[in-house]
Amino acid sequence: MANTVISRTANCQFKRSRSIPNRAALWLVACFLLQFGCQALAQTAVPAQPTDQNEFLRLEVKPVSGGGELITIQAKVEDGRDSAPLWIPMVSVLRDTLGDSNPDNDRLRYLWALSYTRPTFWRRLTGAVPFLYTHAVKNPKPAKNPPPLIDLATVDQGVWEKLAWSALQAILLDPYGTPVRASTRAYRQNITDYRQSQIIQALSLLSLYQESGQPRAFTGGELKEIQARLLLTDKTFGGLVNQRKLPRFYEKENTKARDERGHNWELLRQQAEANNLIFEPLLMPDGSATHALLWIDKAELQSGAAARFDGRFLNFSNPWTDHRLQTWRGYSERRFFDTDQRPANPETPGATEVELIPLALYGLDNPKIPALLVDFRDGGNPRRREMSRRVLQDVTRNVLALSQFGDLPYFMGRSTLNFVTGKRGMDFNQPSRLKTYAQLKLLLSLNASLEPELRSGIRDRAGLVSLNPLESGDEAERRLAQDQYTALLNYAANPDGLPARVARDRRTEMVKLEHGQPARFMFRLANVLSLGRYTHSEKETADLNERLDVARQMAFHTNFLQEVAHSGLHPGKRPFSLAASPRLDVVWDLSEIRSSLRFLAEHGEAAGSKAATATAQIFSRTGDDDVRRDCLATLSQINNKKARTELTRIAQQPNLAQSWRDLTSLYLGGRRSTDPTLSSGTVSTPGQPDQH
Amino acid sequence: MLYATLVCSPARLITASSIFSKTFLFALAIGIVFLSSPSLLDAQTTRLVVLKIDGLPNDTVEKFVQERDPQTGKSQLPWIDHIFYQGGTRLANFYVRGVSLSGPSWSMLDTGQHLQIKGNVEFDRYTLHVYDYLNLIPFFLKGASGGQVDMVGVQVLDSLGIPLLLDAWPQPERYSGFSIYQRGPRYLTFSNALQNRFKRPPRELFDEWTMGLELRSLISDELIKELILKLQDPQIHYLDLVLQDFDHLAHSNADRASQLRVLKELDAVIGQVWTAIQNTPEAPETALVMVSDHGINSTEKIYSQGFNLVKLLGSAAGGGHHVTTKRRLLLDYAIKGLNPFYYFITTNTPDSYYLKGQSDEYPTALLDFDGNERAAIHLRDSDLNLLQLLLLRLREKYIAEPVRRALTQAFFDTLGRRRHEWASNAEVMKVELGALHRVIEKQSELWKARPRKFTAAELRLGRDDDLNRIGARLKQWQAQERDYNEYLRSVNSLLALKPVGFDPAKLRIGDVIPRQAMGENNTVYQLQNYVVGFTAKGPLLDERGELDLERSLLRVNYFSLLQNITVRNNVQREVSHRPVDFVATTVPVEALRGYFRDLDEAEKDAVWIYGGPNQQALIFARRDAAGQLSFLYHPVRELVQAADGSIHLEATSWQSGLPLKVFEDPDLAIPAGDKEQWLSQWHTDVEWLRALHHTRYSNGLVGVYEVLGHQQALNQIAETMSDEQLLRRLARRVRRLTDTDLVVVANDHWNFDARGFNPGGNHGSFLRVSTHSTWMLAGGSHTGIQRGAVIAEPYDSLSFVPTMLALTGKLGHDMSLSSEIKEKGFGPFPGRIVKELISR
Repeated sequence: MANTVISRTANCQFKRSRSIPNRAALWLVACFLLQFGCQALAQTAVPAQPTDQNEFLRLEVKPVSGGGELITIQAKVEDGRDSAPLWIPMVSVLRDTLGDSNPDNDRLRYLWALSYTRPTFWRRLTGAVPFLYTHAVKNPKPAKNPPPLIDLATVDQGVWEKLAWSALQAILLDPYGTPVRASTRAYRQNITDYRQSQIIQALSLLSLYQESGQPRAFTGGELKEIQARLLLTDKTFGGLVNQRKLPRFYEKENTKARDERGHNWELLRQQAEANNLIFEPLLMPDGSATHALLWIDKAELQSGAAARFDGRFLNFSNPWTDHRLQTWRGYSERRFFDTDQRPANPETPGATEVELIPLALYGLDNPKIPALLVDFRDGGNPRRREMSRRVLQDVTRNVLALSQFGDLPYFMGRSTLNFVTGKRGMDFNQPSRLKTYAQLKLLLSLNASLEPELRSGIRDRAGLVSLNPLESGDEAERRLAQDQYTALLNYAANPDGLPARVARDRRTEMVKLEHGQPARFMFRLANVLSLGRYTHSEKETADLNERLDVARQMAFHTNFLQEVAHSGLHPGKRPFSLAASPRLDVVWDLSEIRSSLRFLAEHGEAAGSKAATATAQIFSRTGDDDVRRDCLATLSQINNKKARTELTRIAQQPNLAQSWRDLTSLYLGGRRSTDPTLSSGTVSTPGQPDQH
Repeated sequence: MLYATLVCSPARLITASSIFSKTFLFALAIGIVFLSSPSLLDAQTTRLVVLKIDGLPNDTVEKFVQERDPQTGKSQLPWIDHIFYQGGTRLANFYVRGVSLSGPSWSMLDTGQHLQIKGNVEFDRYTLHVYDYLNLIPFFLKGASGGQVDMVGVQVLDSLGIPLLLDAWPQPERYSGFSIYQRGPRYLTFSNALQNRFKRPPRELFDEWTMGLELRSLISDELIKELILKLQDPQIHYLDLVLQDFDHLAHSNADRASQLRVLKELDAVIGQVWTAIQNTPEAPETALVMVSDHGINSTEKIYSQGFNLVKLLGSAAGGGHHVTTKRRLLLDYAIKGLNPFYYFITTNTPDSYYLKGQSDEYPTALLDFDGNERAAIHLRDSDLNLLQLLLLRLREKYIAEPVRRALTQAFFDTLGRRRHEWASNAEVMKVELGALHRVIEKQSELWKARPRKFTAAELRLGRDDDLNRIGARLKQWQAQERDYNEYLRSVNSLLALKPVGFDPAKLRIGDVIPRQAMGENNTVYQLQNYVVGFTAKGPLLDERGELDLERSLLRVNYFSLLQNITVRNNVQREVSHRPVDFVATTVPVEALRGYFRDLDEAEKDAVWIYGGPNQQALIFARRDAAGQLSFLYHPVRELVQAADGSIHLEATSWQSGLPLKVFEDPDLAIPAGDKEQWLSQWHTDVEWLRALHHTRYSNGLVGVYEVLGHQQALNQIAETMSDEQLLRRLARRVRRLTDTDLVVVANDHWNFDARGFNPGGNHGSFLRVSTHSTWMLAGGSHTGIQRGAVIAEPYDSLSFVPTMLALTGKLGHDMSLSSEIKEKGFGPFPGRIVKELISR
C-alpha cells in the first residue's frame, strides 16, 4: 500500500466539485496513481520534506481497499528548539467512494482526531471522582483501532444515544444517592468535555486548513459540512439538523467567531493601552490572531511611574504595585521599538530597547471577554476562574440535585447570576475556556516565533486551566497522535479492519433501501435501547454497491435540486409568495440543473417526494423552456404520488400557458418522457412562458 | 403626447369608448398638464421603489459582482449583476457629501438639501437637549401614546420646513419601511413579524431553534414582505425599504466570507423585489433604485482601532471634563445599558480641577463619538469656566483682600467682554420665544378642539397622524420654551451682576452660571487657550495688582492636544500610532481678509483644518446668484487667534502633507497646466468634485465645509416679522445651537467609538473608502433608464432627490418644480440631476 502526499510542491489539487470536467478528473486520477506508485508507504509520522517554508499544513491521502480514502491533515510542529520541525498527523477523515471516481456518490464517514483515544480504566476511574479537577494519570495509551470522534454519516445516532444516557442517568443512577449521582455525572461530564476539547482542536485545524490555501481534498461544501457537524455536537439535538442548513449554520458561526475574536482583540488592546501595558497578538500561521500576550516595561515598573490600574477585563492583580515584579527573576525579553512604537530591529535608527516582563496570556476566541489562560504571576488565577462555573454546577446539580427545571428559586438565582456575570463580562461563572485552551495548544505547536523558554513556560502554565482528568499534556498528545496514526494506517491496511467496517456501514446504509418506516423505527429503537451496541445491517449482496451508488447519487441530486429550488430567497426562509420567487435562471447554471433532472428522470423509481417537490418548484421558478420540459419529464418518471400531485397542480394552473398545461396533461395521461413527440419543439409562447 | 399618455394610465385611455369625441378634452388635458408640470418630458416613471442600503460601499459591490461563484458559475451577486449591471444604470462615482455617517447622510439623501443634521446625535448647547436620531425604540414607545409621530430627524426637518422625498406623494400613495427619517409609527409590522416567524413548518422551526433563533432579521423580513405585498397595490407609487445588515456586520467583521454572506442575502432580497415588480402590471413604468448613505472603511486582516476621547477629555491633560455622551461607555458590558431611554450619559471624572462631584449639574464637554471615524466635541464656553472658577474662589472665606479685588475685577472684566454678545443673543431669543409662546397658546386651543374619531377614509389619508403631529409639536415647543427660558434666566442673572454690592458668598452658583449648558461656541482663541482651572499656585497677581491670567490659569490647546495623541501599542503595520488625522473648526472670514485677496463674496465663516502646526488649511466658500457654491483652499501654517479676535497666520505654498493630501495625490484630476495655480483658485463644488473624487479623500474639501460651514446670519430681527417667520427663525437658531466647537477626524483604520468596539470597519471620515457609496437604478421599458450603462461623472448626495423627482416627472430638467410638489413645500434644489441615466 502506498500513500499520497499532497502538498504545494506536489502541485496536485484534489478539488472535488460537480463541475470538474471529466478530463480534469482523469488527470487527477492519473496524478493520484502516479503518486500511488512512486511513493513509499509511510507508517509513521512523515518527516519534514523539502517543501515551501511557509507551508504549515499538508495532506496525506491513502486509499482504503473496498473503495475509500483516508485523508489526513498533518501539521508542521515547531518545538522551538534547534531540531527540525516535525510533521504530526492531526486529523483523518474517511471518505467512502464506493470504489469509483464519481464524486456524486461519495460519502464522508469517520473523522478521527488522532490525539483522541479511549481512556484507560484508570483514567476513567479518575474521571469518575467528583471534584477532581486535575490530570491524575499522565500518559494515555494509543488505541489499537483509534476511535473516531464522529461518524459524519450517522450524526443523528449520537442524539438518541445522548438522550438514552440522560434518561438512564436520571431514572436509574441518580436515585442511588449523592455518591453515585456525583461520580456518574462527573464521569459523563468529563467524557463529554474530553471529546469536546478534541472536537475543538479538530475544528481549529480544519479552519486553518481552509484558510491556508492548501491543495484541497475536500470541496468547500464538504469542509463546511464537516465543521458544521462538529460545531453542532455541543447542541443536544444538533445531529438532527437538516443537511441543507449546514452551510448557513457554519457561515453564521464563523461570522460570530470572527466577531468575538475582533472584539476581544480590540478590548484587550484598549485595556492594555489604558493601563500602559504592552499588547502583543499571537498569530496562527494563517495570520489570524487567536491569542494575545500582555507585557509590562520593566524600566517603567522600577521608575515608579505607575499608572492608574483598571483590572476590569484583565483579571489579574495590579502589576504596578506588585513587589514580585520589582525583583522579577522569571522570564523576560529584550525588545526594540522604533519612534512610531512599532517592534523594530536593534539596527533601526532611533530604536529604543525595552525589557519586558510577561504578565498574562489570553485567548481571543471567547464569548464576550478575552479568556485569561496564563497569569505569569499567579498560575492558579485562570484555573480558579475556570473552576468557578464547574464547581457551581457540580455542587448544585451533582451534590444538591438541584435542577433549573424543577426548582424555581434555584432557577431564578442561577439565571440572575448568569445574567449579571455574563452581561458585565465578569470572568466568573463564564463558559469554559476549553476552546481557547485547545487553540492555544495548536498555536504553541504551529507558531515558530515564540522563544522556546516562553513557549514552554506558557505550555506549563496553560495546562493548569484544564480541569479534566481525562486530558493529556501537549507532548503526550503529540506522541499519541503519532502512535494512533500508525495504528489507524494498520487498521486501514487490515482487510478485517477499516475496510470491513466500511463494508458493514454500507450494509447498514442499505437498511433504508430495504425497509419501510415502521421497521426502521424498530431498528432505531433497538439501537437506542442498547445504547448503540446493536445496529441493524443488511446482508451482503452482489448488487449492493450498485444500489448504493444510485441511492447516494439520488440523494446528492435531490439535495442539489432542493438547494436550487430554495435559492435566491432570503436564506433559510421559504418563499411567502410566488410573485416574489425570483427566477433561477439568473442565479444558476441551467446545465447543472438539467443534468440533475436527467438523473432523476433516469432513476425515477428511486426518487422520493422531496425530489418531486423540488422539481415542481424549479418548474415554477424558471423561464427556460428546456429546463421546464425536463422538469415535467422528470415528474412523469418519478414513481410516487407526490410527483403526480405536482403534475396535476401544474396542469390546473390557470395562468400557465396552455401549451405547458397540454404537455402536462399528456404526461398525466400516461405518456412517457421518452416519447419523441414530447422531447422537442417549443411548447410555450415565445418569450413569456411564465405564469402571468 | 406619448409621455402624457403614459402618465395618464394608458390602459384607461385605450379602453375609452369614444376617443374621437373626446379629442378636444384630451388635448386640453395635455395642455394643462404641460403647463402645470414643466417636467413632463421625464414623466415616464409612475412608480418608484427605493432600496436604501445602509453603508454599502460601491467598491465592495463591484468586486463581488465581477467575481464568479464557483458553485454556479454566475456572479457572486447574480441579481445585482442581472438587474443593475446588465439591465440598468449605475453611478460609478457617487459620493456622500459631508460626513459619511447615517444620520446626516440620509437627511441629505432624503431631502436633497444642504446638511441641517450633522451627526447621529446632536446636543443643544443652551439646554443640552439631545437629538438622538438613530434611536427607534423611544419613537415607537412614545408613538403608541401619540406622544411622538415622527422620528426626531423628521421633526427637525419639519421645523425647518424641509420636506422629505416621500412627501412628494400623498400618504395613501406611499409605503415606507422603518427608517431613521420615518413618518408615523406602524405597529402591525411587529405583530405580523412575530406571527409569520412561527408560521413555518415544524421541521424548519426545530432546525432554527437548534442552530439559534434568527431574531435579528425578524422585522426586516416582515418589512420585505410588506413591501412586496404593497407592490400589488396599484395605488402605491412610492415605496422604500431600509436594509441595515451589511453596515451592522461590517462594523464587526472585515472578513470576506462574512461580508459576502450578507451581501448574498441582500442580493436575494433584491431578486425578490425585482421579481415582484415584474409580476405587476406597473412593471414597465416602475423604477427600482438602490442607494446607500456611505461606504465603509473595512479591510480584511486589519482591525479598526478605537481611541477613547471620553477618557482623554476626562483626564487632567485633557481638561478634566465631565463628558456627556449619548450612550454609555462599553454599553454591552453595562446592565444599565439595557435601558433604551438612557441617552444622556455623563461620565464623571476624578480629575476635574474645580467641578469634582458635580457632573450632573456641570458637564463641561459633550461628545458625539457616533460616527466612529469622526467625533464632534462641544466644550463649555471657556469664559463660563473662568467666571465659575473666579466665583468659586471669591466664595472662599479666607482670601486676601488684594486677591479678592483682583478676582472681582477679573470677573467683571470677563463679563464685560462678553456682555454685549450674550445680552444681544438673549434679547433676540426672547423675541423669538415670545412668538413661540403665542403660537403655543394657539396650538393648545387647536389641540383641545381636536376631533377624537376618524372615518376609515380619513385614517387612510393619515389624518390621525396629522393631528397627533400637532400634539407632539406642542409638547416639543412647550419643552423648548421652558428650557430656553431657564437658560436665559441664568444668563440674565449673570448679566445683571454689578460690581456695586457684589457679594459672591450670597450668590448661588447655579443661579448665575447656567447648569447643564455649554453657552456660546468657543472661538479659536478660546480653544487654543481653554481655561480648565487654576494652577496649583492659585490666583497670582501681577505688579499692577491685577489677576495674572496667564500665570494663574491652567489652559489647554485642544488643537495640539488632539493632534498629538499617540498610542503605545502599534501592532498593525497598516495603522499609524496617531489616531487623529486632523481637527477642524470655523473661523470668521472677517479676521482673515488682511491675508487673502478675493474674499469679498465669501461666506461669513471659513473652515480651518488643523493637521499640525505646519499642516493647516483654510477653506472659504462663496455662493453665486444662482446659489451655486464655490470653494477656495488656502494652505497656511501657525494660525493663532488673539484674545481680541485678530488672527495671525502664515500663508504657505501648496505642498505635500497638507490636510486632505490633495497636492501629492496621483489621482488628482485637474486640467493640464500649473497645478498649484489651479488649486489656488476658486472653483465650484462640481469642479472640485471632478478634480478630487478619485483622490484619497475624495470630496473631502467640499464635505468638510458642508459639515462645518455656516451659511446664514441670524443676528438681526426685522420689526415686521410675523410669528411664523420668528418661529422659523427660532428653528434655524436652534439648529445653530447644535454646532460643535471641534470636529475630530480619525486617521485611516482608527475610530472613536467608545460605546463598544468596531474592529471590522468604520465610516464617518472623508476618506474615499468611507464616502464612495452606491447608487444604481433599473426600470421597466417606459422609464427610459438605460440598460447596462455606467455613469462615470461624479455626483454627490445632493443629486439624489432631484433626480428621483425628475425621473417621476415632478421636477423639470431645468430644475423647475411642478406645482404639485411646490405646494408640498419643496424648494429649489442645490444638486444636479443625473441626466445621463435616461436614454433618449
